[in-house]
Amino acid sequence: MAQPMDNVVDQVAQLNAARSLVLGDAAFYPQIVNGILPLVGASTRLELRRWGANFLAETFASPMLAVAQKEQLAPNVLQTIREILELPETDTTVLQSLVQTSASLYPLVFRHVANNTDRVNNPQDGKSWETMSAIKQDILRRMDSFPCPVKLCCAKFIQRVVQVQTPGLISDPRRPDQNETSLAVVPRNHAILSIPNLEAESSGLLDRLLGVFQEETSDALLVNATLNCLAPLIRTRQSVANKIINAVLEFYPAKHARPPFTPTIRVSVKSMERTARALLINILKKNPNHPLAGRMQMYIERLMQSRLEATDDASRKRGLPNEPTDGLDNAKRARLNALPPPMLKIPPMAPGPASFDRLFTLTEDTGLSSFDVKQLPIDLVLKIVVPLLSQVNDSTLSQAVDAVRTRYQTITKEQNLQRQQQQKAAAQDEDDDYEPEYQPMDVASVVSEEASAVAAEVADLQPELVSLGPFVLPQPPPLSEEEAGEIGRSAVARVFGMLNAAETSPAPAKGQSQQKLGFARLAGSTFDRDAWSVLLARLATRAPAGLENDQQTKGDVRKQTTIAESIRETLYRFILEDFRGRLNIAIIWLNEEWYNDRIRMKSAANQRDDSEEDSEPTVALNYDTWATRLLDGFLAYLDSRDIKVLVRFLSEVPEVTIPITQRVASLAKDPERVNLCVQSLMYLVMFRPPAREMCLNTVEDVYQTYEESRPAAGKVLTKWRPQSTVLETAANAAPEQSEAKPVTSEP
Amino acid sequence: MAYDPRRANSGTSTPQPPPPPPPPPETSTQADMASTTQALETANPANAATDSYKLKFCTVCASNNNRSMEAHLQLSGAPTAFPVISFGTGSLVRLPGPSITQPNVYSFNSTSYNQMYEELSGKDERLYRSNGILNMLDRNRQLKWGPERFQDWVPGVPRVDHLSKGDKGAVGTEGGIVDIIITCEERCWDAVVDDLMNKGTALNYPVHVFNVDIKDNHEEALTGGKAILDLANRLNEAAVAEHRIHGSEGWENGTGPARQSFDEKVPEILADWQEKYPNLPALWTLAWL
Repeated sequence: MAQPMDNVVDQVAQLNAARSLVLGDAAFYPQIVNGILPLVGASTRLELRRWGANFLAETFASPMLAVAQKEQLAPNVLQTIREILELPETDTTVLQSLVQTSASLYPLVFRHVANNTDRVNNPQDGKSWETMSAIKQDILRRMDSFPCPVKLCCAKFIQRVVQVQTPGLISDPRRPDQNETSLAVVPRNHAILSIPNLEAESSGLLDRLLGVFQEETSDALLVNATLNCLAPLIRTRQSVANKIINAVLEFYPAKHARPPFTPTIRVSVKSMERTARALLINILKKNPNHPLAGRMQMYIERLMQSRLEATDDASRKRGLPNEPTDGLDNAKRARLNALPPPMLKIPPMAPGPASFDRLFTLTEDTGLSSFDVKQLPIDLVLKIVVPLLSQVNDSTLSQAVDAVRTRYQTITKEQNLQRQQQQKAAAQDEDDDYEPEYQPMDVASVVSEEASAVAAEVADLQPELVSLGPFVLPQPPPLSEEEAGEIGRSAVARVFGMLNAAETSPAPAKGQSQQKLGFARLAGSTFDRDAWSVLLARLATRAPAGLENDQQTKGDVRKQTTIAESIRETLYRFILEDFRGRLNIAIIWLNEEWYNDRIRMKSAANQRDDSEEDSEPTVALNYDTWATRLLDGFLAYLDSRDIKVLVRFLSEVPEVTIPITQRVASLAKDPERVNLCVQSLMYLVMFRPPAREMCLNTVEDVYQTYEESRPAAGKVLTKWRPQSTVLETAANAAPEQSEAKPVTSEP
Repeated sequence: MAYDPRRANSGTSTPQPPPPPPPPPETSTQADMASTTQALETANPANAATDSYKLKFCTVCASNNNRSMEAHLQLSGAPTAFPVISFGTGSLVRLPGPSITQPNVYSFNSTSYNQMYEELSGKDERLYRSNGILNMLDRNRQLKWGPERFQDWVPGVPRVDHLSKGDKGAVGTEGGIVDIIITCEERCWDAVVDDLMNKGTALNYPVHVFNVDIKDNHEEALTGGKAILDLANRLNEAAVAEHRIHGSEGWENGTGPARQSFDEKVPEILADWQEKYPNLPALWTLAWL
């Protein structure tokens, strides 16, 4: 019986020798990997399968083995993994290593298949992708029934798949080999990889991965494993980063723990809290100006105050070290903030006549209370006060405010009593040298006496304020027109500043609140970016409407630009700086322009009715000018993938005019953007009935002028204007053309 | 499917050895596993091979001199002789100097313990002997060549050369990966977890990261090192137990805690350990290499 055993021991020893060889020199990997596969495959003993799976995991994780070589080894290895998985394998160790290997292989196979579009029909590629997909499906299907260690590796596998199947950054389009593996490296028309399907799958998998934060009772291992693998996703995948961060921000470990709080649960909760904190700090360090930075800070602070942590620390932490172990040991000191604030000791109010300074003095230290703050220069005070305010503890503050409030109430009570007594006294003994300057207009009455008593009271309390007397601001010097214009422009510049600032403030919160408001929303009520842009657009259109006319009628031909024009100019530039991101500002603005034009035409019409013989008031229409200018501005920068941007613009502007369609038609000049042009026109034809005829005319023009557009434009015309004469003429001309142009139409 | 407890390995394709006695591990059921393991270890060479399974450790402190090296010594010198490597997370290696404002500063990865030893004993042998720095460096130079910085470590790069240099604990860490990282200070734990996130988790390999808070002086380092060895023994025991169970067939036989995997036991092990060492506050997470 010892025979098979010894055999295994020998084999493992040989395999270990092989491993030492490749660890010493990575060049041996291809030889060794192909050599060991049959020895450790599906039909061999457990010890060998364990060894093999472990070795494969190590091989494909190794930074020493070049990516190209790993890609070459992949097909054989994939087949072996699939066979072992389909045993079905039940050993935890083997499964763990196989899932790890699959996670390392996934990006390799994906990239290899994505890069080889020219060999679409290469059966090898198709097959390895098919095997990879089968392995993926198997892992995902069995994940929930796997033992815990394997499940952890599955979570990591999912993270890898999501990372691969989400678009990443293309650092340099000219050097595709240097780009990171992501959905962005897949060509749109890839034969095997369908971008929408892959994207949909990865979105579903991301939800599955983040689902761990919503479990009723958290599994600390899975939560920590997930938190620790999210950082690369957040860093490199902009499109899903905020979703992930929000999921983490919704997660409070202490809430997911169920009593009794055994030591094990404490360890788990604390570990989840600290890991979540580590993740957020990692993000904040990379990008301190992150839009969600504020919420992340709050979350971190809230975690620090977690009740489990507090009890835990109080009982377990040893005392503070006598001296800092090194000069920079602030990290541990800061944790004191997490302790519940001490009860504020409120001394009774200092004796003597009541004064504001006594009222607010909450310290018994005479040195402190007699210190005159006015001696300090104001900027120094600011430097001290602002950071202090940010650190004021909520409960300490409310305790202090309560203390001052009760003091104030007792004082007012006492003073009311005193006042009543004084009135009684005054009734008996009139004594008006109290206020020498006081000259009663009327005959002294009880009322005035009462008033004087109250005034005296107030004078007691606020001697300085009363002695100041009334203060009237002097009239400002009159502004010249230039100055007024200058100030107006600077005000506008500040509103633009708000627009920029609002852009960096949290976006999702805005989204939610707007959804809630719906039709009840008022323009400019939410103080977000949109609100500010509405404000600007109205500032440009509504506010100075009609003023230009006045200037013109006055014959004022100074070339100075009006405020409205300068706002428009600035808005125009602002939008063009990032037209993809600021498209909605453009739309808001153009809508305002259009509406404003309508209103002014209407009022002009009314005026005409009123004063018939008068010269017809003309209205300068701004919408057309600016819509075409904007379109001209960004058309040049549109690339063939910007169809969404263009369609959104065309469909949401209030009116499509012939100049606009002509601009769009001009896109067809560029063979790369022919489709962009035809598709956007087709969209207008389909979903913008009022503009349909106009657009079909344009499509005909395009069809006639640009030959590259014929296939696409022809389809549109046959569907929407089958009787079009253009089609017939083209059909007649077609035979000659197809002979004339075979070379260019077939790139 | 009907399940026959006497055929624990029916799911695997292992050739059936002839029936006992003595029973080879494949045929022994989960129930009598515990009682027979001891005998099997000596009787069966294959079983001895699986029992030699050891977790791979990594110890980390600020300068890779005092606390992490004491733990390195304890772990590599233990009867189990754990595979262990060690690092520092600071920007530079800082050793106490003649006053608190004049530390001796060296760079990581390029200065050997021997160089430091020679330099300091040349500077002021009496001072550095009496504050224990020379003793510490002497111990360190017998363990490995010099201090290494955690942030410069590339997991997965083979460490075969460390084996040939005779570093203690190098056996088993040739592959350049570890299962357990133990830091000696919260700042180091934060730095390690943060750095692992920055490294991009490219290996897809899970690693448990512990912190055991130890004051930076020789006495505490010694106590802490022993406590870390205790933790390591407890963890390894659980890992070996998991490894011994062949397939999850045997595994479904056990009940309650016996069915838990090594990973699942970790929080529990740490909680138990913490009860014994209340003065060494601990922290843990599961990260990725």
